[in-house]
Formats: sequence, structure tokens, C-alpha cells
Amino acid sequence: MATAMDLGTANAILTKLDLLSVEIARIGERQRQTEELIEEFTPILKEVMATATDRLDHFEKKGYFAFGKEALGLVDRVVEGFSPDDVRQLGDAVVSILDTVRALTQPDVLAIAGEVSQVLVRADEAKPIGIVGMMRATRNDDVQRGMAVMMELLKHVGRAASAASKSKKPRAVVRQSARLALPAAPTKVDRSAPKRAAVCTPRNEPVVAATVIDGVAFTADGHVVDPNAWTRELGEKIAKTQGLPLGEVQWKIIEFARKEFLETKASPNIRRITQAVGLSTKEIYLLFPKAPARTVAKIAGIPKPAGCL
Amino acid sequence: MDAIAPTQRKVALICSHGGLDEVYPSLILANAARQSDIEAMIFFTFWGLDAITENKIDALHVNLAGNASNTMPTVIAGLPGMESLAASMMGKQMRELDIPGVREMMGILDESGVELYACELAMKMFKREKKDLIPQVKDVITAGDFYDLSVGAQIIFT
Repeated sequence: MATAMDLGTANAILTKLDLLSVEIARIGERQRQTEELIEEFTPILKEVMATATDRLDHFEKKGYFAFGKEALGLVDRVVEGFSPDDVRQLGDAVVSILDTVRALTQPDVLAIAGEVSQVLVRADEAKPIGIVGMMRATRNDDVQRGMAVMMELLKHVGRAASAASKSKKPRAVVRQSARLALPAAPTKVDRSAPKRAAVCTPRNEPVVAATVIDGVAFTADGHVVDPNAWTRELGEKIAKTQGLPLGEVQWKIIEFARKEFLETKASPNIRRITQAVGLSTKEIYLLFPKAPARTVAKIAGIPKPAGCL
Repeated sequence: MDAIAPTQRKVALICSHGGLDEVYPSLILANAARQSDIEAMIFFTFWGLDAITENKIDALHVNLAGNASNTMPTVIAGLPGMESLAASMMGKQMRELDIPGVREMMGILDESGVELYACELAMKMFKREKKDLIPQVKDVITAGDFYDLSVGAQIIFT
């Protein structure tokens, strides 16, 4: 039993050894082949190197390297001209630029563009149409589809535009507002003052003296021609002819009116007076029952108030 | 400064439309009259009643459709909300010029001594009562009453 087993084991070992020797022979063969390859390749490589050198020399002569140097110079200039931030942004943008280019060069997009360009080439043959023609054209299926596409396009353009304007730097806005502020016409009325009841600007008619009383010239409607000729006594005299007694409150109003005219070159209307002195319209009418703003202007020695209010 | 006192002038305005732009002429003219020492009264009739009706006075519209001065195409002007939009734009411009709003204007007119009247027939037509009107309205009167009150006045219809 034991001998038989030994025999079996020895057979198995022999078989394995055979296999091993075959493997070794194959490795040896490969080694030899590699050596042969290198041997054979060496002259070829030498040949290639020589050719390559020749070629490079040829390129040099043709000016490729000079071009390359120039190109490097170009890169230098680009580097000088753009900050790292710019380049980073460009890098970010490159992806979207490529995406856009890819999307625009899809065959179906190109087909549409091709067709559109055909139409544009024949644009001079198109017949002009009016609004009725336009309405009629919208019945066409193709036009309807085109309109839908255009609408979608518009929607996206609008969305992109509003997104872009949101992210825009305030600098642009400032520049625009500055441009808008430029042509503002100079006006006699001080616009910076809040709540100014200057609905109509004062007329610039030459003031004509109609009568002269006590050496002071008056217009036909009873206003002093030269506000600088006015005195407090003159004001009291004018008030007396109107049958008006002048108390503290009345003087407050008259003084305000004079101050207002001297500052703005416009006599205040009743609305301006009520706002400034803190009295109601009714109270002003009680103090100056007839045409209050005009009466105040007369007594204050300033022109008739302009405007409709 | 002459001693000759002119006869007291008086105007009677009739406000028959309720658009913001249609109401203001009466209000401005009445106010200007008082500013020029002219007596003034306003008679509000038909749609003009809206200008003195408590729940309408603050929301008067601007008529766009059928308005020759409106440059907007009628098709667009007729869209819902366009009139109140136009009214709010006009209101903004008026505020910029410091023109008082309709309600404030009524107060100013009343304080200036302008008499405001409502038309009785129009009140019946629109089923409104005196209590629906702003407090500055002096009375609800008939067309005949209007003539009695406007004796010696120049009558202006707007």
C-alpha cells in the first residue's frame, strides 16, 4: 500500500517538474527574444534619434522655435495684463464657454441656424407685412412654434438679465445716476427744500410801475415794484389801505413771506404760508380775509404770488 | 389803491365727472377764485358725486379709454388695473409738485370759504345719502336751488 502510494506521489512530482521545466524554457525564450529585440532596436533607435535631431534642426531653421519663444512672450504679456483673479475667473468661465460652444454646435441647433441663415440670405425677397399680416401669420403652425421658441428664449434672456443686474457692481449704477443728474435744468426755485408749493414758476415779466405813492412805485395790482424800497412803515401804510390791523401773528406771516421771497425769488402762496407758520387755511383767511397770499405779498412789498394753488 | 370798490365777483362751478383729472379743474379753479377774492361754490352732480363721497374720494381713477390725450392703445388702456395705475402715477406727479390730494383739497376749499353742494337727483340715482358724503358738503340741493344760490355768479361747467 505504502509503495503504491509513493509511486503515485513520485508520478505527481515528476509531472509538476515537467511543467516547471516547460515554464522555465518559456521564460528563457522570452528573455532571448527581448535581448534580440533590444539588439535589433538599437540601430533603429539610433536612426530615429538622428532623424529627430535632423528634424528639430530643420524646425529651428524654419523658425518654429522662434515662434515658440514669441508665444512665450505673448504668455508673459497676458500674465502681466491680467491679475491672478482675472485668470481664475477666466478658468471658471472656460467651462461654461465650452458648454455654450458645445450646445451651440449640436447638429440640430446648427440645422436651425443654417435654415435661419438661409432665410436671412434671402431677406431682401421678403414682402413687407403690417399688423394684420402679422396676425394672419400667427395662424401658421411653424410660426406658432417659432413664437413659442422665441418666448422661451425671451424668458431666459430676461431671467439672465435680471440675474446679471442683481450681481452687477454698484459702480455702474452710480455712473448712470450721475449721467441722469447732469442735464437737470437750473431753476430759480430751490428744489432741495422739502415740500415746496411751487406749482407754476414765477413769470419773468418786467415790472411796470403804475402809480407812485410817497415816492414808492406800485404796480397796477398794488404791489411794490422794488422789494428793496420796502420799509416796515410802508407795510403798515399798505395794510391800513386794506383796512387790516397788523398784530404779532400778521407780522410773523409778513416777515416769513419777505424772507421766503428774498431767498427763493418767489412769493409764497397760501399753502406755503400755512405749512411754514403752522396756521390752518381758515386762520389765514381770518387774518387776511380777501385773497390772503396776495394781501400778504402786497403788505410785505413783494410781487404777486405765481402759481395756481 | 383806488377808492372805487369793484362789485364782488362770484363763480359757480359744476363738477359732473368723477375722474381724478376731471375733478381737479373744479377744485383748482375754486381755490384760485378764493385766492383772487372771488366767491366760489361747486355743485357736484352725476359722477362728480364720487369726489365728495366718503368711500370713493381717495380712489378716484383717471379715464384712459376714450381719452384722446391718452397715448396708450385703447386695447391696453382697457385692461383691468390700468386706470388705477394711471391714477397712482398722476397722484405721484401731483405729490412731487406738492398739489394736495382730493380729500385735503376739499378741506382747504372748505376753510377758504368755498361752498360745496351735492346734486339731489344724482344722489337718488346712485342711492347715496348725506351721511355717505364728506363732512365739508354744505347741503344736498336741487337744480333749482343751484340757480337760486348762484345768482350773480359766472357758471362754469366741467
